[in-house]
Amino acid sequence: MANTQAIAKTLRVDLLDGLHAFGPSVIRAGTTADSFNMALYLDTATLDANTTAYTATGELAATGGYTAGGKTVANATAPANTGGTGIVAFWTPSAAVSWTSFTSSGSFDACLLYNNTSAGKNAVAVFTFGAQSVTAGTFNINMPTNDLATGLIRIS
Amino acid sequence: MLIETKKGMIDSALLDVRDIVTTEDNARVISTEWSLNGDLVRRDVSVNILRGLELCNSINEDINNG
Repeated sequence: MANTQAIAKTLRVDLLDGLHAFGPSVIRAGTTADSFNMALYLDTATLDANTTAYTATGELAATGGYTAGGKTVANATAPANTGGTGIVAFWTPSAAVSWTSFTSSGSFDACLLYNNTSAGKNAVAVFTFGAQSVTAGTFNINMPTNDLATGLIRIS
Repeated sequence: MLIETKKGMIDSALLDVRDIVTTEDNARVISTEWSLNGDLVRRDVSVNILRGLELCNSINEDINNG
């Protein structure tokens, strides 16, 4: 029986759980999950893979039912690597993110998912959905199915 | 039924309503527009993210573009 080099299947979930620090780490205040937010951005903003943290630049104005920094996402489901061979780890907010009685300050086409617990408010991902505007209404971001094929954040 | 609009609560019977469904790269978007005598008084939007983002894809894109 020979050995087989491999990345541990559990590494991906462990990364999502913050169990490894290959670089300088931070002193964490506790062992609970971090809080993540989604913020909305005007279609004139330039968020992309180079976005490193939450920024107020290009964010919707804090009017019409929108608060700077966006909304906290529900996080009741821990990252997992189930449903396949264990190679894919995934995580998805446990509920939609909604703004009600909302009038957008301009046309917007993206949201930024970021860590609202970390001191640097580090970026996680940018999602686009085409230019939208909302008038005295509700804006929902409904999440995909939380599995290895469609989960919101996946590492494979 | 009363509907919240930019002009206050209005009976839905007085409003014209239309749903607009669009498909973006990775989202299906349903917009509902409520109009009163041609004036848009409420617009709701529901974004359904079809599929999240995958870190491995980012790695592959970086290698391919590098």
